Amino acid sequence: MHAQISDFTHANFKKADSIALANSDEDLYNLPLLAHKLTSNLDTEAEQFRAIYFWVCHNISNNYNLYLRNSYKRNRFKNDSIKLKIWNNDFKKKLFKKLLKNQTTICTGYAYLVKELASLANLECEIVQGYGRVSTTDIEKLDLPNHSWNAIKLNGKWYLCDPTWASGIPNPKTNNFKFQYNDGFFLAEPKLFAINHYPIEKKWWLFEENVPSFKDFLEAPILYGKAYENLKFHNFPKQMHKDTKLFENITFEFETKETLNKKDITFLIDNGSDSKQIEPNSVTIEDYNLKIEHQFLKKGFYDVHLYIKNNLISTYTYKVKN
Amino acid sequence: MKTQTLPQTQNLKTFSLIGLILMTFFAFNLSYGQIATTPTKKITTNERTIKGVVSDETETLLGVNIVLEGTTTGTTTNEKGEFTFPKKLKTGDILLFSYLGYETQKVEIKDDTTFINLKLTIDSVTMIGALDSGKPYKSKRKD
Repeated sequence: MHAQISDFTHANFKKADSIALANSDEDLYNLPLLAHKLTSNLDTEAEQFRAIYFWVCHNISNNYNLYLRNSYKRNRFKNDSIKLKIWNNDFKKKLFKKLLKNQTTICTGYAYLVKELASLANLECEIVQGYGRVSTTDIEKLDLPNHSWNAIKLNGKWYLCDPTWASGIPNPKTNNFKFQYNDGFFLAEPKLFAINHYPIEKKWWLFEENVPSFKDFLEAPILYGKAYENLKFHNFPKQMHKDTKLFENITFEFETKETLNKKDITFLIDNGSDSKQIEPNSVTIEDYNLKIEHQFLKKGFYDVHLYIKNNLISTYTYKVKN
Repeated sequence: MKTQTLPQTQNLKTFSLIGLILMTFFAFNLSYGQIATTPTKKITTNERTIKGVVSDETETLLGVNIVLEGTTTGTTTNEKGEFTFPKKLKTGDILLFSYLGYETQKVEIKDDTTFINLKLTIDSVTMIGALDSGKPYKSKRKD
């Protein structure tokens, strides 16, 4: 029932990926031709879509300044729908010019381009608008939709992907965008995706049971891009902020994409004045199931970052009392 | 409409001017006209040059891509928004009109299509964008 990457074997995309890379000199002045070049030698819908998605993720950069300017204005006009609309139309024209000339954009530009190229290749693809929740957004109050991604129909089934977040991340210090393709956002597992993607339209959750409320979404742990490469499910805890007592057992449960070794799992624990990398007190691995247990031996307020193979996966906070 | 009425007036003129002998010719013409009332068969085999003009709400658009679906054959509009498709087209062919920021439109060539006057609409999406970050979250602390 779950619509994700494991419906397709990874090896299937080698040809699609190499076609996308071979066309990296192409620009956006002729989208029908680009769509044709990317897809005409591929047989399946999944491969055709892969080539389009891979091309966009590797050739379109994310523009931090455009992002800042837009969020500033959107916040300023958030109670004035007319001004907001005028701003959006004006900004949209500028944005598409920039995308065309400089191949740089913000999320909706990525999602738009994936959708356009896909529909030119006769694939059914939609832009999904909603909320994206990352460590640097004001995570407690997301009052305006701030993110766009795609839904794609392959062999009659809908899947999710996020070309913006797959393309790379800004350098934490300079904020300059750096291409760093993350394959985890391609046909992502909907229940993992749901932890930091909240669609405005309910149908784009792509699952029906236990759909998060907006409150659940705002309270969820912070998930980083690398989680998508390493995890299949994030089962527990459901909340980011937890209270606990000294020596009390705290638990974490995940389903991983591959079987891990105990030494792959580390915590970085920050108590406000310094941070320490430690091994959790107990790690249990059974096939793809990962269970972590830990206890705090001192009172305090801790940021707990989970790392798998030195990749930052998720963050939680613990208030430890007597 | 014009192409339908014109031959008829000509036929009437011809009829009024020439004699009985030519009646047979008229009759032939009439029957020809009847064939022409079911033009599908005739014109589908007729490949023709398609011209057109593309604009948005306010102005004509330069650089709109027009491609025959499933091929790489195509052209782009000039500064007046005009185009002449480089390949002769037949009924049932589909042209894709694509311009970044506008919704792609498909136009099917009909029996009577020779000129396409197309209005593209700006994609209606709201532009938003959150960045992913590899930066670890840091709690705000008072003390």
